[in-house]
This record gives sequence, C-alpha cells and structure tokens, in this order.
Amino acid sequence: MKREVPIAITFISGVLLVIAFFIPHEPFGSLEQRFNDWYIIVSGFALILGIDSLLLHHWNKVSRRSKDWFHSLSLIIAFFVTLIWGFYSGIKTGHFLSAQSTFRQYFYMYVFVPLQATMFSLLAFFIASAAYRAFRADRFEAALLLFSAGIVMLGRVPLGNAVAPYMVGLVFLIFAYLLYSDGRKEVDPTRRYLKIGGAVLSLILIYPVGWFFLHYTAQTAGWIMNIPQLAAKRGIFVGIALGGIAMSLRIILGIEKTYLR
Amino acid sequence: MKYIEKLAKIDRRIIYLILFLTVLLPYLFKISLPMKPLPEVVQAYREIDRLPAGSVVMISIDYDAASMPEVQPMLYAILRHCFSKDLKIIMLGHWPLGIPLGIAALEDVAKEYGKKYGEDYVFLGYRPGVAAVMINMGKEIRSVFREDYWGTPLDSLPMMRNVHTYDDIAILVGFEAGSTGDYWVQYAQARYNQKIILGGTAVVAPDWYPYLQSRQIVGLIGGLRGAADYENLVHHKALAYYGMTPQAAVHILIVIFIILGNIGYLALRRRK
Repeated sequence: MKREVPIAITFISGVLLVIAFFIPHEPFGSLEQRFNDWYIIVSGFALILGIDSLLLHHWNKVSRRSKDWFHSLSLIIAFFVTLIWGFYSGIKTGHFLSAQSTFRQYFYMYVFVPLQATMFSLLAFFIASAAYRAFRADRFEAALLLFSAGIVMLGRVPLGNAVAPYMVGLVFLIFAYLLYSDGRKEVDPTRRYLKIGGAVLSLILIYPVGWFFLHYTAQTAGWIMNIPQLAAKRGIFVGIALGGIAMSLRIILGIEKTYLR
Repeated sequence: MKYIEKLAKIDRRIIYLILFLTVLLPYLFKISLPMKPLPEVVQAYREIDRLPAGSVVMISIDYDAASMPEVQPMLYAILRHCFSKDLKIIMLGHWPLGIPLGIAALEDVAKEYGKKYGEDYVFLGYRPGVAAVMINMGKEIRSVFREDYWGTPLDSLPMMRNVHTYDDIAILVGFEAGSTGDYWVQYAQARYNQKIILGGTAVVAPDWYPYLQSRQIVGLIGGLRGAADYENLVHHKALAYYGMTPQAAVHILIVIFIILGNIGYLALRRRK
C-alpha cells in the first residue's frame, strides 16, 4: 500500500491536470484551480520542512562537534537572530518590512544585502583568474569558442569597437609569428612554404580584419547572440522539453518510481 | 622565450589586484562612455512607452541582493518610465529574499513622482508555488492574493477594483536572476497570451533570445548594459550607466588576460 497509494494519487492527479489543460471547462477548470491552491499550500509547508531539516542537520553537527561545527553554530545563531528580529520589528511597527522597521533598515539593508552582494562580487575575481588559466585555444573548436566569446565580450561594451581591432590584430600577429617560427624549422619544403605562406597571409589579413572589427564588432556580437547562440539554445530547449514530457509520462504512468524513495 | 612562457604563469594575486584597480579607477574619475541602446532594450522601452495612461503594468521581483547591482537599476528605470507616463503598477515577487528590494524601489520612485499607494501602485508580495501562482492569477488574482502585502483586502484598493486577471494587465515585466522568467513565458504568455518583457542578469538573459525571436516576449533587458540602455532611454543616467565604464574595462582586461594566457600556453607547448 505504501507504493500503490502514492502511484494512484500521482496517476489520477497527473491525468486530471492534463485533461484540465486541454479542456479548461467545468468541472476540469475549477479542478485545476483547486489543485493549484493545494500546491501553493503544500509549497508553504515545504518551506517549514526545509527549515526543520536545515536546523536539524546543523544542530547535529554542533552537538557531535563535527568538522567546522562552528560554522553550523553561526548559521543557527544567524537564523534565530533573523527570526526574532523580524518578529520583534513586525510586532512593533505592524509589519516586519514596513518603512519604520529596524529589521528592514538595518538587518536587511545593511547586513544581508552587503553580505550577499560581496559573495557574488567575488565571482568577478574568480572568473578573471579562471578565464586566464582555463580558456586555452588547444583545439579548433576551443579556438572558435574563445574567439566568439571575446567578440561578444567586447561587442557588448561601449569601448568594444575601438579596442577589438587591436585585440584581433594581436591574435593574428601571434599566429603569424608562431607559423613563421614553426615553418623555419620544417624540414619538408612543402610544409615549410605552407606555414610561412600562412604567416604572410595572417600579416596581410590584419588590416582588413581590423577594419571590419573597428566598424562591426557590436553587430558581429549581435549576430553571434541572435543566430548561432540562439540556434544552439533552441535545440537545447527542445531537448529539455521532450525530456520533461517523457519523464512526466513515466511518473504519471508509474514507470518512474524513484520519487517514492 | 622564457619571458613569453612566464605569461602563462601570472600569479592570481596580481590578476586580482589589476582587476580591483580596473573596477575602482573609472568609478573614482567618473568616466562615462557613449552607448547606442541595444535593439531589444529599445523594443522594451517602446512597448511601455506606447501604453495609454492608466494602463496596468505588473512587475515581478524574481531576484535577490546577489543580482541587485545588475537588476535593481533596471527596476528603477522601468518604474520611472511607468510613473512618468501615469501607468499603474502592481508588484509581486517569487523570490522572498528579493521582496524588500522591490518595496524599497517602489517606495523611492513613487515618492519621487508623488504617487499614492492603492491608487497608483500596489504591492502584492510573495506566495510560494511559482507555476501554480502564475496559472491561478490567470483565472483570478484574488484566488492567490486576497490581500496586499500589508494585509489590506484587494477590493478596498481603488486601483485593484477592476483588475482581476491577466486580461486587465497591459504588460508584465519580470526581473529575473534565475529560471522564473521561463515560467512566466510558459504559463502567463503561452496560456493567457500575456505580453511580457524580461529583464535580468547577463548570465540568464541569453536564454531568452529564442522567446524574443518567437515574439513570446516583447522586449529584453539583459545585464548591466541593458539597464544602462534603459536609463539612457528614460534620460535618467544613474548607477548602471556609470557602471558600464568599469564593466567595459574589465571585459577588455579579461580578453587581454585570455590572449596573454594563450601566448604563454602556446610558447610552453612548442617547447615541450
């Protein structure tokens, strides 16, 4: 019964909601609204369950003096300070977020907001460092991705058009140097001339490519965002949607039972 | 060659220091750069601009303090635009931790334009259950929000008397830092044909270009650039506009670092 009853509830609810979507008339229309009301109420209680689970987990860490138990203790203290301060402000001013509330003025605006903003701001440093270390043009696909990312990054900011030609020129110059120095060491004359020719071509291309990016970096960034990026995104979305439908059907029909564990 | 190889091994503390100075200096010297607004932002601006006075705009706060530097300036700019055109605002949110940010912006801008609570704007607050909230609001807003955030019954607020479903809302503007924008499109737009504008962080905005092309949303404000463009369009240059110079400098710096890293990497690989 422990398995059959939840599977039956899932099946009936799922089928009724699918019917309600396609036939939004009575009795299905109001039934969907009723189901959604229940869902909203259950979501509210899920928050309480989440708080209970979080506190219990950290209290266990503190009571067992597990590794980094002090962080768990600070979480529990912060939780109750927030809760008590919120209640106190709510009772004193009528609502915990009213304009006079010290909870809103001090705790939220001067403690919570700067803390969360600081955590997120640190990402800028990590991203810069990670981009420098990890973005390597070691394959053609990686080089293409890197080049596109660079153009989008420059094309979305005000100075992009002015700076992009120099960046692209530098890349071509390095490419020419590498090809030339490789070509000089080549024993096979055909490969040598091909590489040196490639180096010369790179040097010749610096000016026209630089001119193009001087005028069209923003447009190129827009094109990348609107055509190749969008095509890939759409493919991913369609894949996710099909996967979602397949998984929903499996759950409704009782084939997928992992949620019962 | 050794010097070139060293380019692949710049100490991360040097990178952090250069980055810090790159952000700080443009702010200290208040350097600003000219920008041409992006078409998707202009589209969003025009959609709001062409609404007749008295139309209702619903704004959803689906972000919190972590995304505040990018998204909050958009909220201020849109609120200024709406209030300057005498549009009515209904605000709600699906991220409970972002609710006070919405309240703060709404109160600030309403005060700036001398707008009255209940007549010109209303704050509904938060209800759990994202998708269920969106679907039920399409049938009757009161089925989800019987009262506003401060406990006043909706029917006692003059502005809300004739507002019941999405049919009574001219445009919905979702400010996003996650996937709630997708839910707005899936439920409010696809089921109820609600006009939607989405604004959000530069990380989530690229996900919405398919919606923009298929006209499931009528405008897109992405990242600090989008916010700066909107500030520019409403002729009220503020945080986002002045934040674009540091952002431009950092973008250029990161591209330089990537090029330097690759030069060093190629030099090392050739030697090996």
